[in-house]
Amino acid sequence: MPVLRCFRACANLRSLTGFRPGGRSARKGTFVILSEADTLLAPVTEIDGFVLAGLVDVSTGMVLASRQVADEMSLPAVAAGAADIAHVLSLLGGQLAADEALEDVMVTFGRHFHVIYPVSPDPDARIVLLVVLDRSRTNLAMARRDIRSFCTNFVS
Amino acid sequence: MSQLPRFSRARQLTASVWSGKAPDDHGSLVAARLRKLAETGSTGTLPFSGAGDGAIHFRDGDVVLARSTRTPSPDGTNGTGGAGAAGTPFTRLTAALAVAEPTIDATVELLSSEARFAKFRSAKAAVSAASPGIGVEDLLTEVARRQRILQQLAPVVTADTVVARNPHLNAPDIGVLAPQWALLIRIRDGSTPRALAWELNRSVFGTTLEIYRLLALRLLSATSPRPRPGGQEPRFGLVTMSYVRAVVAGNGSVTAGPAYSEPAYSEVATDV
Repeated sequence: MPVLRCFRACANLRSLTGFRPGGRSARKGTFVILSEADTLLAPVTEIDGFVLAGLVDVSTGMVLASRQVADEMSLPAVAAGAADIAHVLSLLGGQLAADEALEDVMVTFGRHFHVIYPVSPDPDARIVLLVVLDRSRTNLAMARRDIRSFCTNFVS
Repeated sequence: MSQLPRFSRARQLTASVWSGKAPDDHGSLVAARLRKLAETGSTGTLPFSGAGDGAIHFRDGDVVLARSTRTPSPDGTNGTGGAGAAGTPFTRLTAALAVAEPTIDATVELLSSEARFAKFRSAKAAVSAASPGIGVEDLLTEVARRQRILQQLAPVVTADTVVARNPHLNAPDIGVLAPQWALLIRIRDGSTPRALAWELNRSVFGTTLEIYRLLALRLLSATSPRPRPGGQEPRFGLVTMSYVRAVVAGNGSVTAGPAYSEPAYSEVATDV
């Protein structure tokens, strides 16, 4: 299915979000509404180079569930960035009026990949899976396959 | 003689002589009360009255349900739907979300409308006992985040802004998602995001965001603009909503009122 597949942000996200790196740091807290979230996201944590994962409701920007192996980055900020990207792409999709849905988004930073994947094939279900991976330890093709497989199992 | 109430003057004086202490606003008072109930592992109901009636229900210190007369309540059938329901992980997640979203929506409304809380009523069994509870700190963090997003949107649209369909489109073709289409076809004279949320039984916050997206796509226009401080006319479509800014700029405090004040950021065109 020809879809918008790769949104490579080798440039920074500042222009997109207005984020100021020197600003006040984000809160560490996360929001989890499903008590079994840890179990649900367990398969994603087995991907080589896994740093963090979260299920984010794009319609409200709320983090529904999350897992993080190291405290090296702020999950709320990263999840909010994923929701912002999905929000901007939804506006773009609306303007293009293309009869196709977003398949995934990959953002490449110096040391990390951020992969955003809608968990439901239904474009109206606005929940995405965000996975942050360490570039030095990740095979991106394998990781994408694992994420796609996780999302398929998640809805079936 | 000052026209300020004595209590407000006292708070101003406190703030002026004790600079390190923030004056206690309504949001902080409610947040402190909720934290106290969480610490003591309370089960029961905290009723609210005044600008917006409602209640927050606790079970063992967690919030299991919140209701406001200004936001739609969860369906009765969803009250037991939470994490224990059978089905795929996705259906369990959406079931939990169906309970949590109205609760968060109502809490935002109760804290923003400066409703007064009354005496906590303890109970042995909380309402909707089968639904998963939300930790008070998590809830307050999410409420504060939503309040900051509403502050960002305030110059363009609020939950009570009257919107109308735009009959003239610049784009030759445009696409919308089903939830947005459901809003578009229901817009009549005098429609507001809050009224549409009630009609569709969705969250007021989520509906306001969707209306903002439709405004950004120029499918809608706001017909009841909120005047800006200083008497300037609002410039619709010139504010970018950012979840990142709402998280990064926040200090976690819950504020009183949706804060229709001037946002503390520069405006950027949203045209895509």
